[in-house]
Order: sequence, then C-alpha cells, then structure tokens
Amino acid sequence: MSVPPAILDLRVTPADKSPVHIWLPLFLLWPVALALVVVSLVLTILVDVALLLFGRPYHHYTILLAGSFAALAHTRGMVIRINDSESAIDMTFQ
Amino acid sequence: MSEDRSRILNLLAEGKISADEAGRLLDALGSSEGAPSAAAGPAIKGDAGPLIAALPKFLYVKVIGGQGDNVDVKIPIALVRSGLKLTSLIPPQAMDQINDSMAEHGMSIDFSNLKPEDIDELVEALREMEINVDSKDGDTVRVYCA
Repeated sequence: MSVPPAILDLRVTPADKSPVHIWLPLFLLWPVALALVVVSLVLTILVDVALLLFGRPYHHYTILLAGSFAALAHTRGMVIRINDSESAIDMTFQ
Repeated sequence: MSEDRSRILNLLAEGKISADEAGRLLDALGSSEGAPSAAAGPAIKGDAGPLIAALPKFLYVKVIGGQGDNVDVKIPIALVRSGLKLTSLIPPQAMDQINDSMAEHGMSIDFSNLKPEDIDELVEALREMEINVDSKDGDTVRVYCA
C-alpha cells in the first residue's frame, strides 16, 4: 500500500516579480479524503450490486474507483517544472 | 544467460550500478543459475533488495523548446502502472468514446486490447525505453526512465 502525497511544494517565479513559495500540507486533508473514499466506495458497491442483480455485464465501478484512489496515492514523488520567458512553475508532490 | 543476469549486466553497462554492486548482485543470484523453472523456486536467491533498488522508479519527460520554454515532468513508474491498470477497468461505453476521440486525433490505439496481465510486461519494457526527438525548430523531447 502506498502512502499518498503529504506535501505539495509549489514555487511560482514570475520573471519581473518576487518568487512565491507555497507549501501545502496535504496530510491535513487525509481525514477528509478518507471519509470521502469510504462514502464513495459504499455508494459504488451498492451500484455494482444493483448492476449485477440486473444482469449488466459491467459492474466494476468499485474497482475502478479504488484504482483511481490508488493512482492518486501514487502521485507521491511526481515533479512538474514549467519554465517560459514569463514565469517558472515548480510543483513537487512529496 | 538468465534474464536476471542480463538485466544486471545491462544496468552495469548503462552505468546505473557500479561493478562492485553488479558483482554482489550476481553473487546473490548465485545458485539460481541452474534452476530449471519457476516452479523450482524464485529466480533470485539471497537479498534481491539491491537489484530492486537499482531498477528505475521514475519516467522522465523533458521538453526543451527552441525559444527557451522548458517542461520537465518526473512521473513515478507506480503511477504509470496504476494508470494502465485503470484503462482495463473503464466502462465499455466510455472506452468506445475514448477510442473514437483518439482515432479522430490520429492515434488509433484500442485500449480495450490492453489486458491486465500485459501491464507488468509493458511497464518492464517501459523501463528500458528511451525516446529522443530533435525537431528542425530546435525543440527537443526526451522520454526515459531512471
């Protein structure tokens, strides 16, 4: 099981202004995210059971949602840097 | 030559591990050389930690524009793997729309052909992939794993 990103380090450096450094503590959102995950997974389980009972061939929304959350958790370590003539943006998921 | 040995030698040739580390990894493989099949036990006997640690963990995409614009993205391989797994779970109706939209943009890739059992093999192949594009305008695109 992977640990979701705890901090988003965002640096924006405009060409003619002073740089902005934002340190977003994503770990503070973990409890809220956990509640959302639980609620949404319960809903998708109900939907999947209903689809299964109605004989629909596709009833994998729960797995799809769980996979989406897993993908979000795997963003830890991702770095995006964009530099152009007007600004530089540096985003790091730690 | 076993796949594990050739992988270690490739890592050594690419300079990702030192000769000393390669020697220790080859020693760790040790007696597995004569193993006839996977059923006989794991391919790697001993500590496989260094070998796993030496594997690339990030996919790098670097775009250097001719006019000084740069984009540099470092993507965890685990995220790539998760994304590929998600493609096999997309509802059929949505998958048809994705395939149609990609075909309209000149990319005739049918993601429904991507089976979950192929994903690990695909990610392994991705680790050794390297793309270098140099355009006439001076733009450079590099995609590689490290």
